Amino acid sequence: MTAGTTDIDRSELRPLMTTAREDLLRGLTRWHVYGRLGWLDVKRRYRRTALGPFWGTASLGLFVAALGSIGVGLWKQDAITYVPFLAGGLIVWVFIQAILTESCALFIATPGLFKQTRLDYSVLAYALVWRNVIAFLHNLAAFLLGVLIFTHNVGWPLLLLIPGLALVVINAVWVTLFFGVACLRFRDLQPLIGNVVQIAIFVTPIFWPPEVLQSSTRIVFVTFNPLYHMIQVMRLPLMNQVPPRSTYLAVMLIAGVGWTVTFAVFDYYRRRIAYWA
Amino acid sequence: MAALVLDDVHVEFPVYGSQRSLRRAILERATGGMIYREKRGSERIVIRALAGVSLTCRDGDRVALVGHNGAGKSTLLRVMAGIYEPTRGRALAQGRITPLFDTMPGLDGEDSGYENIITAGSLHGLTRAEIERIIPDIEQFSELGEYLTLPYRTYSSGMGTRLAFSIATALNPEILLMDEGIGAGDARFAERAARRMDEFMGKSRIIVLASHSEYLLRATCNRGVLLHSGKIIASGTLDEVFERYRESTHEPLAG
Repeated sequence: MTAGTTDIDRSELRPLMTTAREDLLRGLTRWHVYGRLGWLDVKRRYRRTALGPFWGTASLGLFVAALGSIGVGLWKQDAITYVPFLAGGLIVWVFIQAILTESCALFIATPGLFKQTRLDYSVLAYALVWRNVIAFLHNLAAFLLGVLIFTHNVGWPLLLLIPGLALVVINAVWVTLFFGVACLRFRDLQPLIGNVVQIAIFVTPIFWPPEVLQSSTRIVFVTFNPLYHMIQVMRLPLMNQVPPRSTYLAVMLIAGVGWTVTFAVFDYYRRRIAYWA
Repeated sequence: MAALVLDDVHVEFPVYGSQRSLRRAILERATGGMIYREKRGSERIVIRALAGVSLTCRDGDRVALVGHNGAGKSTLLRVMAGIYEPTRGRALAQGRITPLFDTMPGLDGEDSGYENIITAGSLHGLTRAEIERIIPDIEQFSELGEYLTLPYRTYSSGMGTRLAFSIATALNPEILLMDEGIGAGDARFAERAARRMDEFMGKSRIIVLASHSEYLLRATCNRGVLLHSGKIIASGTLDEVFERYRESTHEPLAG
């Protein structure tokens, strides 16, 4: 009870601290926590509405129909290739965009959880990514239905969506953790990222095919645009095409660099998260 | 065996976004005290919430945390829960730690009572099987009946409290950390709640309870610790600690 008593063997006690590594790995085994948190978020969107998350799908569908008609005239595209390109790109974009913007609020919105009980922070990141994967699957179902009705252009390359999604998810987790920590400390980042994301949809080949750009602008907005590769690795299988090796290399390179930086940041600042919240 | 050991624990909160005028006011003042600048010439403002706290709790200890507002009681509990990692010093423990602070984490108005039980249980580290085992106990004690299938937002505030209380006291902590006890709702429920609280606390090996209620602390605890400006200024029997606490009410607040 008093300070400095020595009859407790401290070597038998565990320190009440967690390393970044423990947090990430132990968090990953807590499927019943993040799976549940993510699923409940989606379930709440279903409450008291007939369509729930399919409202997002419905508005995307309208958007594709409207923009598809314009794009076919504007870029002299063939509807059979352009509309799946647009729709596929959009459902992947919506998935990536939601993760980017929601990641900024990862810790700002959840102190009610991690300041009330001891929680591995990574659990919150996994939950955020998981709920967006569920939302993506809703859009994917609608996309595949459209393909079956209109183009019948499905084949084995569609299976490559699975590794594509896995690679994007691996990137999504570091993005979520990185921006979650950064935006918690620097509150200006959240609106800044919101702005950048809004512009990114126009400068990334989603509405327009990459071929319309030439030489240096193409290098800037296509080759060195990480979002482009994230989209390609999932969009090409949706369009019944096999992504080139360079796409996979780019996505894996981004994952390697992103995780290295994020792990360093998380390792150093993890213990400050509760203090900044 | 359960144990909880703090060795020379310091906790300092950075204050971001403070007004320039506040910053200047603090810079002009001599350093020392609860609020100070991080280094000489630095613009960073820091609040020292705990300054060198050492404490050892063993099996059977029921520790009353006493102190004025801002003395560091809640911060100390969060260090014990592993939520704040000390900026200096260390915290060690053995045994499952259950923190019960101001709100039950994870309760959502749109989810049903049952769903909230499962969420709160998972957040407290229970497996699904462990949660299934405590559900009958929560059903029986909360007396919410059919309401457990309805969304939490349809509950009266008393019913909400009953649910949170029933979940909290269905947990099986080895080390229980509580801030201001747990509210228990209406008078009839309060009586049953008091009995259940006794049983619940009897199951815990170590309790650390922060409260301003001398009555609650005397009913629950067997030792006391008095915090003042982030330091332990008295530690011992409840009588000693409360006597020292009453003396300290006549002293200036911040050191």
